[in-house]
Amino acid sequence: MTVSTTWLTWISTSLILLLSTRNPIYILIALTTLLFLGAHISHRKEQPNWIGQNLRFLIIMITISTLINVIFAHTGRTILFALPKNWPVIGGNMTLESLVYGAVNGLVIGSLYLLFNILNLVLSIKQITRLIPNAFRPISIMITISLTFFPSIQRRTREIREAQIIRGNRMKKVSDWVPIIIPLLVTSLENAILLSESMTARGFNSKSSMKFSNLNLVTMIFAVFAVFAGWILRLYDYPIVISAILYVLGISSITLILLIAGKHVNVSHFHQEIWHPRDIIFVVMSFFIAVAMIGLQPVECLPSFLYSPYPILSFPEISVLGIILSAMPGLPLVFMKFD
Amino acid sequence: MKSRIFRIFVDLIVFILGFLNLLAPFIFQQSRNPSFPTASFPLMVSLVLVLCLILILFETQSSLLDNKMIAFLGVLIAINAGVRFLENAISGPAGFSPIFFLIILTGYFFGSRIGFLMGAMTMFVSGLITGGVGPWLPGQMITAGWLGQSSAMLKPLIQGLKWQQKTGEILVLSIYGAIWGILYGVIMNLWFWPFFSASPGQTWLQAAGLEENISRYSAYYLATSFVWDVTRSIGNIFIISFLSRPVLRIFKRFKNRFSFIVVEGKQP
Repeated sequence: MTVSTTWLTWISTSLILLLSTRNPIYILIALTTLLFLGAHISHRKEQPNWIGQNLRFLIIMITISTLINVIFAHTGRTILFALPKNWPVIGGNMTLESLVYGAVNGLVIGSLYLLFNILNLVLSIKQITRLIPNAFRPISIMITISLTFFPSIQRRTREIREAQIIRGNRMKKVSDWVPIIIPLLVTSLENAILLSESMTARGFNSKSSMKFSNLNLVTMIFAVFAVFAGWILRLYDYPIVISAILYVLGISSITLILLIAGKHVNVSHFHQEIWHPRDIIFVVMSFFIAVAMIGLQPVECLPSFLYSPYPILSFPEISVLGIILSAMPGLPLVFMKFD
Repeated sequence: MKSRIFRIFVDLIVFILGFLNLLAPFIFQQSRNPSFPTASFPLMVSLVLVLCLILILFETQSSLLDNKMIAFLGVLIAINAGVRFLENAISGPAGFSPIFFLIILTGYFFGSRIGFLMGAMTMFVSGLITGGVGPWLPGQMITAGWLGQSSAMLKPLIQGLKWQQKTGEILVLSIYGAIWGILYGVIMNLWFWPFFSASPGQTWLQAAGLEENISRYSAYYLATSFVWDVTRSIGNIFIISFLSRPVLRIFKRFKNRFSFIVVEGKQP
């Protein structure tokens, strides 16, 4: 699994899963599979500290979330202990329900963090920038320039800083930034002038090549509004069909405009991403899982997805389908065996 | 003129949709649909913000970005992303970040669109470099974009007061930086607040009215983010006071040098 689009599908499906459930068992399954996946990838990338760092973060995250909820939320019937009620903010009953609620919150935040951490681990900066559609060519060139200049700017910053330290600047106060930032700005902008001149000399003039009709923009405005309206209508309990139509209309219009605009742009890649059959199978599988999760409407078909420890703590319901779906973030582990 | 009106129209649409989207927990209570999962909030807010970003970037690149601006902004964004790493070299108080001053000054000097691009792209590039790509990124991008964009509004004010290159200019910019130090945190909490919450007095309540939810959010903000944001505000005041004058002088010098015109002629 080396294609960036495959990982994009993976993260989208995993996000849908993590944001649809509050069942701690399912979240724990998802978190565990994510940890295994992260450990596997970090082992391949020779980053042995990854698992330790993330476990530390997870433990801190879950502990803080749990403690904050227990201390501040006094809802629930199973009282663990009580603080005097006249103590401002924290005074009141400390309940088991609020402890579990805080822990579930921490688990969700931790899982989301881990999800994006794995994406940052598995995809290179080059692969992420490749995900920018061709229609945004000037923007992607700007980003590429920034990423290309970044190491030299860092190096120059270090050199200027060292020179300032040798001159006796102790670099401790905010005012000590002036002798670093000003020379850095001047030398870097000199480089920008050279770059823009050489771009002009080589015939690069993006302004003339990226003109879009106002119709495209008006359609795009309506498309964004359609998605927004679909969400708001859903909030007000209008039939899901109306929202679904608005989502599909909006997102497909934007996709279409970007595809048409990007068609006229010639982009050359030095390293092509090669699609293997397993990438295609993975994308198709993820797509169907995502559609199933959205279409199943957890409230009606998967009641075990919903869980609340309030008002009385109960053991969360579990279903086989729920367990299978919550293990989905670990699916790349199966496919990566064939890499 | 026509394109200028169109540009303002796109800005307004993005601003209105973006804000309505972020303020959805306050404005659109789910009074008629209590079963709707609050989990959809962060996902939908991020999705609409991404679409707003797509819209504004699509328009900006076709109307504004030529090779000079691409090179200029590309390098400036790299500097700002690099400055973010200076935080480690010269430690400041928690919440303090040196990236905001350059966004403010760029928006103030070069105008609203350049300011927006500077803010949004700084967040994107530094997110790529630091491995900070996540659901929070669209919110960071659009908020930093608005920071840069709204800085342009200070120019007519300062010009009207005839405070250019005077202490008054630095004072206004510093106050503005201080306000945005807080405002950035206030806006950034909004996309996840209805989803992640702590105390019952601080949680979003779907049946509550605007006033009650604002007071709940205020309690949440004061308890979790205020101190952090105040240090950012104070940091902004310091850094703008020290750096704005020399940086604006550099911008003025380079604006003249970047103003060469490309004439596309026929080959002999």
